[in-house]
Amino acid sequence: MLIKMPVSWLREYVDISVPIDELALRLHMSSTEVKGVERPWWDDKVRVGRISKLAKHPNADKLQLATVEYGEDRPKTVVTGATNLTVGDIVPFADEGAQIIDGHTGERTTLRGKPMRGIQSEGMVLSAKELGQGEDHDGIQVLDRKLPVGARLRDVLGETILALELQPNRPDCLGVVGIAREVAAILATGLREPPVDRLPERTSRDLDVRIEDPVACPRFAAALLTGIRIGASPTWIQQRLIAAGMRPIDNVVDITNYVMLELGQPLHAYDHRKLRGGLLVARRARRGETLRTLDGVERVLHDDTLVIADADRALGVAGILGGEDSEIREDTTTVALECASFEPRGIGRTAANLGLHGSAGSAAARRFSWELSPDLVPVALARAVRLLREHAGAEVSGVMDRYPKRRGVVNVRMRFSDIPRVLGIEIGPEETLDILRRLQFVAAADGDTLVATPPAVRTDIAIAEDIVEEVGRIAGYDRLPVRVPDGPLPLHERHPLQEFRERARDGLAGFGLQEVLSYSLIDPAWLGMLTADGSCIAPEPLRVINPTTVAQSAARPTLRASLLDTARRNLRNRAGVAIFEIAPLYLPQRGDLPDERWTIGILLAGNAEPVRDGETWLTPERPWDVRDLQGYVLALADLLDVQTAGDQVDAPGLHPGRSLAFAHDGRRHLVAGQLDPRVAAKWELPAETFIAEIDLSSWLDAARPPRVIAPPRFPAALRDLAIVVDEATPYRDVEREIRAAGGTDLGSIALVDLYRGPQIGAGKKSFAVRLVLRRATATLGEEDVDRLVKRVAGRLQQALGATIRS
Amino acid sequence: MPGEELRELANRAVAEIAGAADDAALEAARVKYLGRKEGALSEATKRIAKLPPGEKPAYGAAVNEGKLRIERALEERTRALREARVARDLGGEREDMSLPPRRVRVGRLHPISQTVREVSRVFATMGFETVEGPEIEWDYYNFEALNIPPGHPAREKWQTLWISNPLGDDPSRPLLGRTHTSPMQIRVMEQRRPPVRVVIPGRCYRYEATDAIRESIFFQYEGLAIDEKLTMADLKGVLFSFARQIFGSDRKIRFRIDYFPFTEPSAEIAFDCFSCEGRDPECRVCGGDGWIEAAGCGMVHPDVLRRVGYDPKRYQGFAFGGGIERLAMLRTGAPDIRLFYQNDLRYLEQF
Repeated sequence: MLIKMPVSWLREYVDISVPIDELALRLHMSSTEVKGVERPWWDDKVRVGRISKLAKHPNADKLQLATVEYGEDRPKTVVTGATNLTVGDIVPFADEGAQIIDGHTGERTTLRGKPMRGIQSEGMVLSAKELGQGEDHDGIQVLDRKLPVGARLRDVLGETILALELQPNRPDCLGVVGIAREVAAILATGLREPPVDRLPERTSRDLDVRIEDPVACPRFAAALLTGIRIGASPTWIQQRLIAAGMRPIDNVVDITNYVMLELGQPLHAYDHRKLRGGLLVARRARRGETLRTLDGVERVLHDDTLVIADADRALGVAGILGGEDSEIREDTTTVALECASFEPRGIGRTAANLGLHGSAGSAAARRFSWELSPDLVPVALARAVRLLREHAGAEVSGVMDRYPKRRGVVNVRMRFSDIPRVLGIEIGPEETLDILRRLQFVAAADGDTLVATPPAVRTDIAIAEDIVEEVGRIAGYDRLPVRVPDGPLPLHERHPLQEFRERARDGLAGFGLQEVLSYSLIDPAWLGMLTADGSCIAPEPLRVINPTTVAQSAARPTLRASLLDTARRNLRNRAGVAIFEIAPLYLPQRGDLPDERWTIGILLAGNAEPVRDGETWLTPERPWDVRDLQGYVLALADLLDVQTAGDQVDAPGLHPGRSLAFAHDGRRHLVAGQLDPRVAAKWELPAETFIAEIDLSSWLDAARPPRVIAPPRFPAALRDLAIVVDEATPYRDVEREIRAAGGTDLGSIALVDLYRGPQIGAGKKSFAVRLVLRRATATLGEEDVDRLVKRVAGRLQQALGATIRS
Repeated sequence: MPGEELRELANRAVAEIAGAADDAALEAARVKYLGRKEGALSEATKRIAKLPPGEKPAYGAAVNEGKLRIERALEERTRALREARVARDLGGEREDMSLPPRRVRVGRLHPISQTVREVSRVFATMGFETVEGPEIEWDYYNFEALNIPPGHPAREKWQTLWISNPLGDDPSRPLLGRTHTSPMQIRVMEQRRPPVRVVIPGRCYRYEATDAIRESIFFQYEGLAIDEKLTMADLKGVLFSFARQIFGSDRKIRFRIDYFPFTEPSAEIAFDCFSCEGRDPECRVCGGDGWIEAAGCGMVHPDVLRRVGYDPKRYQGFAFGGGIERLAMLRTGAPDIRLFYQNDLRYLEQF
C-alpha cells in the first residue's frame, strides 16, 4: 500500500539527524520501500492571498470577480467559477507565470493570464487539485486565517513527503508512529509516542457493546461521547490530512482519520440517535439482510459477512464500509465511537466479495485486511477521545472494551547461532540485543539462547527466522558476504522434450525462419475464423473469468490464429514472411489441469524470394509454395531423426487439394499445407498462405536416434528410369514399390523429372527417377545392376500397372 | 640419315608447339605429331618394324628421343598457356564486390527465447537444473502452499487472472494463470529430496494494465536451492555470479529488505547500473538512482518446507525470482516491453 508520510509529522515522534535523502535511502534498504521523496514544487509566484472583494462577473452568471491581496501594492483581480469563497478568506493565489497543476488534465502547466468572458483574469485562486494536493477541484482550497498574506505558499505550507510502499506483513507501519519506530531503530535514537490517557471503563445506560463472533471480531471497544459540536477541525489537523492525501470533512471524521494515520488503527463514528436499543454488536449478517452503505449502494449482504449492528439492523459492514443512515451529520451531538479489531482474512474475503478489495477498498478496509494488533484498540480509542475532547467539545459518558480471548504474548526462543545459520554471517550477541531493543523488542540472552518479545504492534514476528530478518536488516544486508555455495550437487535429470524442442527451435532458425512469440491468451472470436464455415479446428478453450481485455480472454488451443494474425500485420510492410512459433497449447481436461501440449507452428506467405524486398538483381521474385513448406517440415523431421508417418487424416481449415495431415492414436501430430483461401480472405492474407503445425511430443515419440554406418567404400551405379503411370497414382506409391523391390542394394531415389504430354498419352504421367545403387561389400557388376532394375520394373508393372521406358 | 630426318621433324614440332596460340592449336599440334592414327611420330614408330635389324636400335632411340622432346614441349606449352590464362583472369575484369550478394535467409530466435536460454545457461554453470511446469495452475500451488491463503493481503501483489474450464469448474479448486513461477518451488520439492538446485523459466499471468515496462502476460525465472547449510550469503553469491555473467564482471550487487510470504528473511536484489554506473541522474536504464532492481529473493520459509515434507530443522535454502523481459530489455536497450509480443519482424530481426 502506497502511503504519503509528511516528514514534519514524522519529526513529532523522532529526531531525524540525517538529511532526508539519506533517511529515505536507509528506510528503503532496511525497512520499507521508498518510492520517492516529494518536495514542495510551488514557485515564488504561488502566494498566500486574501479575498478583499467579491463581485459578480458582468457577462456571466456563474463567474465571480475576486480581488486578491497578496502582499504586493496592487491587489489583483481574478475570474473564478468557485462558489465557496467569502470576503476575508485566505486562499492560495497563483500569479501569472506560476507553475500549477491543470485542473482538467492533471499535468503541470504554466499559468497564463487570459480573458474570461471579456475580463482579463490576472492570476488564479487555486483548488486542492491545482496545488497538486489531491483530486478536489470543486472549490478553492480555503486556508488557515492565521497565515501571513503575501508569504510564499512553499514557505508556510510546503511539506516534504516520503512516498512509502508498505508491505502487508507490516501493519505497524501503517501509522506515522510505526514509521517513527523504524526510524528510531535505524538511527539509534529515541521514540516519542503521542500522549495517551488510559480510558477507564465506564458503563452507560445508553450504549452497550457485544461480540457475537469472537473469531471474526476479537476485540470491540467503544466510547459514548456527548456534547459534540460538529465543525471544522483545527488547521494543523487539516493540513496533515491534506499532506497525507486525505480530504478534511469535519472535526469528528477528521480526528478519526487523523488517529488512523497516526497509529494505523481505523475508527468509526456513529450518530448515537440512530442506534436502536443503544447497542453496537459485531455479528454475522442475517440471511437476506440489506444495508445502504455510505457510497449510496443498497447491498444485499452475504450471510457470512460480519456486520456492526444495533438491536435491530446492520449499521455497516464491519471494518469495510459504514452505513448511510448512522453517519455523522452537522447536527450530531452524541457520538458512539467504535474502535475494534477484526480477523484480517475475513475482512479480505468480504472486501473481495463486495468488489472493495485492494486499491478499490476504503482506507479502513485496506488496513483491517492486514493483521493490526488488538493492543492498538484501547490506545487509538483513548487518543481519539482526547482529540475529540480538545477539538469537538466531547464529554465521555461511557467507555467499554470487550476482549474475550486475549492474544497471547509472542516469545521467540532461539539460539544466537541461528543468525549465522541463516544469514551466513556472524552478528554478535551484544549487537543483536542492541538492534532488537532499538526496535522496542524485549530481548534477553541466556547463554546461547536468545528470548525476544516483539512490541505488541509487531504481529509479523513469530519464529526465529523473523528475528534473524530483524537483526539482519537493521545491521544491514550490505554486511552479508558474497559466497559461492558449496556442498553436494544434486544429480540432474534429462528433459527429453525440452531438449528436443530446443533442437527444433535452433533448426528452424537455422533454416532461415524467424521465431515469433505471441500472447498465449487470445480473442476467442479468432477461433471461429479458422475454417470457411466457422467450425472449430480445436477444442473449446479455457476462458479467463476476469480478462483485462477480450483480446486476451481464451487460452489458445491452437497456434494457427496467432500465426495468421502475426503474418497479416507483417505483410502490411513487407512482401513475404517466413516465421515459426513454439509454444504450448492448452487443452482442457475434465477435473484436471489442462494438457499443455508443446506445438511448432510454421507459416510462409508472400514472396520467398528475393530474401530482401525488391532486391531482384540476382534472384527474380518467387512466391512461397506448398513445396517450400513441405521442404521445411521434412528438413526438420530429418534434423530431428523423425519418421513422419501415421494415418492420413483430413486437415480442416486447409486447402483439401494441397495439404496433408497425419494422426496417431487419434491425435493429429502433423498438419501442413495451403490455408483454405476462404480462410485466408478472412484474415486479409494472400490466397497462397502456407501453414504447418507439429505436435512436439508425438514427434519426440517418433524420433529414433540415428544408427550410423561408415561412408560407402565402393562406387555407386546410377540408373535412370522413366516410369509411366496413371495420373491418379501418387509418387509416394512409386517410391514405395521401388524400395520394396530394390532391397538392400538400393541406396536412394531421386525424382529427375515429371512429364505429361502427347508422347505418353492422356491420363498418364511419367516420373523420371534416378536410382543410386550400391553394395556395401563390393562394386556392383553390370549384371547385378541389370537384374535389380529388371526386378524394380517388374514390381512397378505388377503393382501399379506402370510401363517403363528407358 | 633417317635420324637426321627425325630430328628435323622434332624441331619443327617443338617450334610449332611453342607457337601454339591457344589450347585448340596445341591440341592440333599434338594430334599432328603424336596422334595415334596419323601422327608423324606414330608413322615413324611403325617404320621401325620394317628396318633391317642392324638399324633398328639407332632409329628406335631417335624416335624415342623425338617423342620425349615433343611431349616435354607440349607440357611446357600447356603450362604456359594455363599460366597466361590465369594471369589474364587475375589482371582482367574487376567485379564490383560492393554489389549485394545472393542473400541467404537468416532466422533468429525471439529475444525472449534467447534470454530464457541465457538464464538457464548461466545458472547451469552453478549446478542449477532447468525444469518447467504448468502455466495454468491450481490456487493451491500458486498461493496456498506459499503461505498465501484466500483473503491474505499479499494476494494484492499478485493480481490474478482466474480461469474457467469448459469441461467443468470445481469451486473448491480454483484454476488460475500462475502469477509467478514460484508454484514450481512446491512442485519440485514435492517430487525431489534435497539437495535441490533448479531454475524454472516460464510464462506467467497477471491481472494488470500493461505499459512500457509491464505486461499482463510475461516470463519469469525462478531459482530454488535446498540443502543443509545454504545461507543468505550463498544466495547473494549465486545472484552476484549471475549478474556478472549477464551484465559484466565489474557489477556490484545490493540486497535490501523486501517481503514475500514464502521466504523469511526476504530481500530484493539490485545490480548497479551497467549503463551509467550511478553517474547519470537522468539515466533511462536505472531511472537515476544507480541501481536496477532485478529479482525478489529470500530464504525459503520453514512453513513452506514443512508443507512439502522437508524437515526445516535439517534443511534450508533459498529461492529467487525475476523477470525475463526486464533482463532482455536491459541487455538490448529494448524500449518497450510490449514490442516483444507485437512480433513486428522489423523489430525482431534486430536481436
